[in-house]
Amino acid sequence: MGTAHQASQDDGVTVRLACQGDELAWEALVRAYQTPVFRLAYLLLGGADEAEDVTQETFIRAYRSLERFDTTRPLRPWLFKIASNLASNQRRSIGRQLAALRRLFQPERSSIEFPVEVQGEQRQQAEELWRAVRALRVADQQIIYLRYFLGLSVEEIADAMGLIQGTVKSRLHRALERLRNVIDKDFPALRDWNDGRTNV
Amino acid sequence: MDERTFEILETRLRDTARHFPYPATPDFSRVEAIRRVARRQGRPRVQWRITWVAASILIILLLAVMATPTVRAAVLEFIQIGVVRIFQTAPTPLPESPVTATPLPAVTGTPSPTYTPRPIPVDVISILDLQGRTTLEEARVKVGFPIRLPSYPSDLGSPDQVILQDHDGSVLILVWTLPDSQDKARLSLHTIEPGSWTIEKVKPRFLQETTVNGRTAIWAVGPYIVRLLNGDLDIRRLIEGNVLIWTEHGITYRLETDLPLAEAVRIAESLK
Repeated sequence: MGTAHQASQDDGVTVRLACQGDELAWEALVRAYQTPVFRLAYLLLGGADEAEDVTQETFIRAYRSLERFDTTRPLRPWLFKIASNLASNQRRSIGRQLAALRRLFQPERSSIEFPVEVQGEQRQQAEELWRAVRALRVADQQIIYLRYFLGLSVEEIADAMGLIQGTVKSRLHRALERLRNVIDKDFPALRDWNDGRTNV
Repeated sequence: MDERTFEILETRLRDTARHFPYPATPDFSRVEAIRRVARRQGRPRVQWRITWVAASILIILLLAVMATPTVRAAVLEFIQIGVVRIFQTAPTPLPESPVTATPLPAVTGTPSPTYTPRPIPVDVISILDLQGRTTLEEARVKVGFPIRLPSYPSDLGSPDQVILQDHDGSVLILVWTLPDSQDKARLSLHTIEPGSWTIEKVKPRFLQETTVNGRTAIWAVGPYIVRLLNGDLDIRRLIEGNVLIWTEHGITYRLETDLPLAEAVRIAESLK
């Protein structure tokens, strides 16, 4: 919390400089947040090209709205909110439908390949868990990505999703319950792992 | 789902996330579109904001200033009130008046765009020389507007002379003469119908904005030259009195008197 607060204060200064036309400050902000934003877009959309488009648009829109940004708040959830909205639009767009058609002729994206250093059963289970997450509805996926893949606090998720923290906690809980149900139903290999009988 | 299962699931998700094979993140800070938005909207946005604020203030000031006839006159070179146009500087060189006790200063200025300079002598005429004498009753029949008379001062009575001129628009001149002189006006009231006449006053000595019944009015202190324009017809007269000019319901009123402004306004507001 203290670190996040410090980051928020630092961002506030940089944001104000960027608002005043300091291009270097703006570049610094982009560099600081481009990876988490790109990763969120990638998780939500499943394609590097689409994620790149959304990330680029996220920063363009963010800059245009930068003056309205509350510099007492952390920047990352605000960027995630923009990116999530853009990704949601992208999913509904014709381009996205065409991209989905293209993927029919390409390898299944949910069978993503984990790095070689993740060995054997651990690797297989990670891939299975990933597939299980992908089987959830988008809203559940989003909250899981924000919390466990991108490491946001409940407070930051509340900021990013425009919810109160209590709602975030309950949604998170329900998302995990549904994930557990998916695992029980479709990923039997993970059941034992999930029971703690296999360690990653 | 019990707490332990919940915790295990969270741990597994975090482990999976830690090894997740994300594509390499492009360096968006070098992407031209993102850099351009900062260049185009960064400094310019601040400058634009300043520019907008400055422009807004300027427009507000300009509107406020231009709403003041005297200032508008300085900017536009003339004030237009009803059919009367008052020039602060002479639109054309005008000859010295042969009769005025207070000679007008030599005047030069930018020629009016609608006027072709011609050497025309100033025509000073007495009330008796005015054409179009009639009676109040006849005038009421002829003019297309209600004839209003001052009810102040209470002893003013009916006008001593009624003159009706028509040049594509009626000009009714009501004159109250001095008791001891039938050719000298104590008070005169022009009621001018919208028409082709334009009355120009050139360089009154003093000009003041006032109101008559809440409407903007101009108080011009002579002597000054009045120029009546109707197409090629150009008549000039030297006026020595003070004039209050205002408009009501499209009619231009011009009250000429040697009384002070407050009295003139009181007379003007007494029209019935």
